[in-house]
Amino acid sequence: MNPFAYERASNAAGAVAAVAGHPGAAFLGGGTNLVDHMRLGVASPDLLVDITKLPFDRVEELPSGGVRIGAGVRNSDLAADQLIRSRYPMLSQALLSGASGQLRNLATTGGNLLQRTRCVYFQDVTTPCNKREPGTGCSAIGGYTRYHAILGASEHCVAVHPSDMAVAMVALDATVVVLGRLGERRVKLVEFHRLPGDDPWQDTVLGHGELIVAVELPALPFATRSAYRKVRDRASFAFALVSVAAALDVEGGTVRDARVALGGVAHKPWRATQAEAALRGAPATAESFRRAADAELAAARPLDGNAYKIPMVRNTMVAVLRDLSAEATP
Amino acid sequence: MNHDPAITSCSIDGRAVFAAPKLGQCLRTFLREQGALGIKKGCDAGDCGACTVWLDGEPVHSCLVPAFRATGGEVTTIEGLGQPGALHEMQRRFLDAQGFQCGFCTAGMIMTAAALDEAQRADLPHALKGNLCRCTGYRAVADAIGGSVEAQEDVAGQACGASLRNPFGEAIVTGHARYTMDLSADEPTLEGLLHLKVLRAEHAHARIARIDRTRAEALPGVVAIFTWEDVPRRLYSTATHEDHLVDPDDSYILDNVVRFRGQRVAAVVAESEAIAEAACRLLVVEYEILPAVFDPEAAMRPDAPVLHDKGPATLGSRGNIYAEIHGEVGSVADGFAAADAVHERTYSTSRVQHVHLETHGSIAWRDEAGRVHVRTSSQAPFIVQQKLCHLFALPARAVHVFTERVGGGFGGKQEMITEDLCVLATLATGRPVKWEYTRQEQFTAATTRHQMTTRVKLGATRDGTLTAIEVRVVSNTGAYGGHAGETLAASLGGPLTAYRCANKKADGYAVYTNLVPGGGFRGYGSSQTTFAIECAIDELAIKLGVHKFTIRRKNMIRPGDWIESVWSDPSDVDFGSYGLDQCMDNVESALASGRGAAKPAGEAWLEGTGIALAMLECGPPTEHRSGAEMRLVSDGRYHLAVGSTEMGNGSVTSHRQIAAELLDCAAGQIDIINADTDRAPYDTGTFASTGTVVAGQAVALTAAALRENLLGYASHHTGAERAVCRLESDAVLCGDRRVRLAELYAAGSAEGHRFEAKRKAYLSPRTVAFNVHGVRLAVHRVTAEVRILHSVHGADIGRLINPMQCRGQIDGAIGMGIGWALTENMIHDDGGAVVNPSLRNYRIPAFADVPPSEVYFADTHDRIGPLGAKSQGECAINPVAPAIANAIADATGVRFAHLPLTPDRIFADLGPAR
Repeated sequence: MNPFAYERASNAAGAVAAVAGHPGAAFLGGGTNLVDHMRLGVASPDLLVDITKLPFDRVEELPSGGVRIGAGVRNSDLAADQLIRSRYPMLSQALLSGASGQLRNLATTGGNLLQRTRCVYFQDVTTPCNKREPGTGCSAIGGYTRYHAILGASEHCVAVHPSDMAVAMVALDATVVVLGRLGERRVKLVEFHRLPGDDPWQDTVLGHGELIVAVELPALPFATRSAYRKVRDRASFAFALVSVAAALDVEGGTVRDARVALGGVAHKPWRATQAEAALRGAPATAESFRRAADAELAAARPLDGNAYKIPMVRNTMVAVLRDLSAEATP
Repeated sequence: MNHDPAITSCSIDGRAVFAAPKLGQCLRTFLREQGALGIKKGCDAGDCGACTVWLDGEPVHSCLVPAFRATGGEVTTIEGLGQPGALHEMQRRFLDAQGFQCGFCTAGMIMTAAALDEAQRADLPHALKGNLCRCTGYRAVADAIGGSVEAQEDVAGQACGASLRNPFGEAIVTGHARYTMDLSADEPTLEGLLHLKVLRAEHAHARIARIDRTRAEALPGVVAIFTWEDVPRRLYSTATHEDHLVDPDDSYILDNVVRFRGQRVAAVVAESEAIAEAACRLLVVEYEILPAVFDPEAAMRPDAPVLHDKGPATLGSRGNIYAEIHGEVGSVADGFAAADAVHERTYSTSRVQHVHLETHGSIAWRDEAGRVHVRTSSQAPFIVQQKLCHLFALPARAVHVFTERVGGGFGGKQEMITEDLCVLATLATGRPVKWEYTRQEQFTAATTRHQMTTRVKLGATRDGTLTAIEVRVVSNTGAYGGHAGETLAASLGGPLTAYRCANKKADGYAVYTNLVPGGGFRGYGSSQTTFAIECAIDELAIKLGVHKFTIRRKNMIRPGDWIESVWSDPSDVDFGSYGLDQCMDNVESALASGRGAAKPAGEAWLEGTGIALAMLECGPPTEHRSGAEMRLVSDGRYHLAVGSTEMGNGSVTSHRQIAAELLDCAAGQIDIINADTDRAPYDTGTFASTGTVVAGQAVALTAAALRENLLGYASHHTGAERAVCRLESDAVLCGDRRVRLAELYAAGSAEGHRFEAKRKAYLSPRTVAFNVHGVRLAVHRVTAEVRILHSVHGADIGRLINPMQCRGQIDGAIGMGIGWALTENMIHDDGGAVVNPSLRNYRIPAFADVPPSEVYFADTHDRIGPLGAKSQGECAINPVAPAIANAIADATGVRFAHLPLTPDRIFADLGPAR
């Protein structure tokens, strides 16, 4: 690792000022991704501002019935939280499906959202990568693309976002609360991560020095019936080949409302709005679920090595929705 | 906020530490610098868990925690959890269940396990996601956490056949066992220790035109830089065998031609690892790029770029074909003509890495007399000594090579990978030099299993009797040919020998390509062809409508059969015992029992069953010899020295048991040292399943000779007839008189009698061992997930010297086989670079991926192997992957002929979504 200086922030404004005023600085949360990148040479901040002692470590109920999750809440604590487990089971499942106990003990909610892609070329500093070194080209295109994007990719980057947690949160309409030098702002999670476009080095809409302080989940009563399903190579931890987060509101055999998001398919956690639109008002049958999946996947553009993802997403989405609708029909 | 790291302090295992971490240092290296050597490096990326410590009571990967973060915190390591004599409950459990083999992952595993609550302990697949073990297959770990006591009492005269503890078990569970790199900073021999790092090739095939070292040399702290111009121009092979002629001398310490991405280009030694690394980046290399070839079929074509042209060393080879083997017995043409059904298909296996948790590494230094000492992680220290003498033109007495505990091998350490550069640098600088591989280097610059593509053609009559077997094997040996010829021969040996058939033909080619070199790997060529043939046998059976057990029973080798593959010349392989029939019966009845997990609910799950068998010739066809030396010492205990390496295979435990059986004492009466060219007799190396059948044989012969020595002297000393003298625990019974061994020693030494013996063992004849694996599994047709529901294994390995260890070796081999079948695969891109050189992207099985297996041992007693035992370290892996492939075919109706069987591949072949 390159040498770096270290500071421990005692308040949020101070942390923001320290990073914002120093171009080479980075916030240090759990560090599970950042420290790894520093060792690989993918990142080389010269100042780390440790934010783990800031008072963002609580999960609170909001008056609106929603939940506010402090950015410093550990993944292990969030997965075990009673409010989350009872109201948003898909989020708890998503957290538990990723990483190991040791990692979840360190990893924070804010840091999880800011995880960078696990594209093998991004992590290998000897290869060209537009995300790591703008303008050098994309090694994945024409290379090893088994894990790469089928939706929303560009000619400059075909990487996928690795988080499981964010997929569930995007399905739940989460809002990210961000503190900058000019104060707080709120960003819908679905707009928080970016598609690669012409500037794939920008993962999110955050500016340098902006700090995530919380994630808010609105009330969603039917999310008590929700699930997260991940397809991966190995039963223990591995990144998703594809994943599906879904909540389904069914009454009298008809879908009243649905939330669906996909992981492992795009540069961002992918909210499946086309599928949701197709589901609303449709009969809760396998046929409708397939049609919804097809509606979402119509835009899919596979690469040489990942065409399997299209039927795999379709199958997984149908399976999750069927399971949820079966729960709904006693 | 403070900017001053100098006031950093934390507590490590209750002791206050005021040292300041270096800028950019992670907690793992900081703790080790502070003397907490129980913490291990497995990956340095948060994937393996070997470095797990508690930070303020919570387990974390210390490799991912910046050391500064521990400021004001409390760190607990394995050494703080409990001490020898005052073990923590979880350490005691790991000791009682012997929940480890090499022990390298154990400290981290215990730190994770000790922090689990009851609910987490009930869900170990989930709770142990962050800890990888490559040796045990996790059953022993589950036993330990569950509190079961597997180890048995050490009773004099009953050592063999008992599940005795590893003599170093307490040191392992407390983190006190010392591995290759566990040297404290104040070790006197290490004064002035230098660190070595290697710049690696960026091209798959290139000539080095120029290396500009100006900037690197100018970096403060750089002590020396070595390029191809600075090394003895002597050819050698990194592979280690007794007979050095079986491997091509196709390598230089540093070469001016690079033949794979990742090959050594230059070595830098510096005052710190960081400086050495930085200096590597400052070297400017001008390459003259040469055309590269990665596919062995393409490499065999006349227009392919030729990798090696080294005169006599590679004279026998034709273009890139390093070795070819052809043979036929009978006539396969006649055999196929007589067949009612013929099956033909091409199968392939993947390139995989050993992933021993301890990476390669060594430390070299010179003593005052100028002797070179090399502490290394090797399966063959004696051959390493020979190779170092050859390379540096040193006499054997000038070089001492030894191991401490070795953290796993699996064939990967049957290779000289790091020792040569450390010795080069220590000879040049006069200072001690250390070089430790990173996990990434393990993938890009060590060795792999040979990727093989195997065309199989089988013919049989209607009733399933084989009439012809024909195989064509193409082995991709990568850039260098170590082990290429021997693995190719092995690939055409056991797997073809296992079936009786009058007509067999084989053609094999081992081909150079510009990829990471192949090397020795558990199963050694045999695994690859077993996969192909066992899949093909199933397909033929389906074609004929014959049951999978029936076709195998009808054709499998039986005692009295001529043991032959495709060479008609007589071999030294013989039936010392035979238990294949028992293995088949045991697996069949276990599968029929309905035990194991039920098929998951839902029509999306498809269920299938598969089996495969494998035959092993116990030991390599090449020369192999081991020596042992044993003496009685003055306090009446024994001292045993064996050359063989212990790397988790359990040999230090079983060798004591073998000796104890012959000396009618408890194993605990014997102290053992091993794998040291100064202190133990010569040993070819611990590979090719020789730890028991050769080194163990040497121990048996030595102990028997010492017994004769003791009894002869006892008879002389007491005047009793030799025939009425016998050993009993720590004494000799001479008729009615009981003489304690300490007393006998005193009497003997007063007379100048020496109570010692030394014997050698040679591997010939060789016996045979068998393994049969069966699985029932479910395949999810929506997600292509594979879930193993029931795993059963029959092993014919003769008498069990230590049943717990034998079972552990088999559990571990099954786990490794599951990884090979389902997840592991080194992928390279069009430029020959490995694209997944980390444990995050190259996935070995974790706890959740390896279901417990039922293991059944055939009741056999071998007349060739020592005390009735046979080889067991490797063979269990061979039938695992084909059994899984056969079960997936049974479940889905689709044959998957190429490893690994990952969800996307299965998915793609399952056809349209259902």
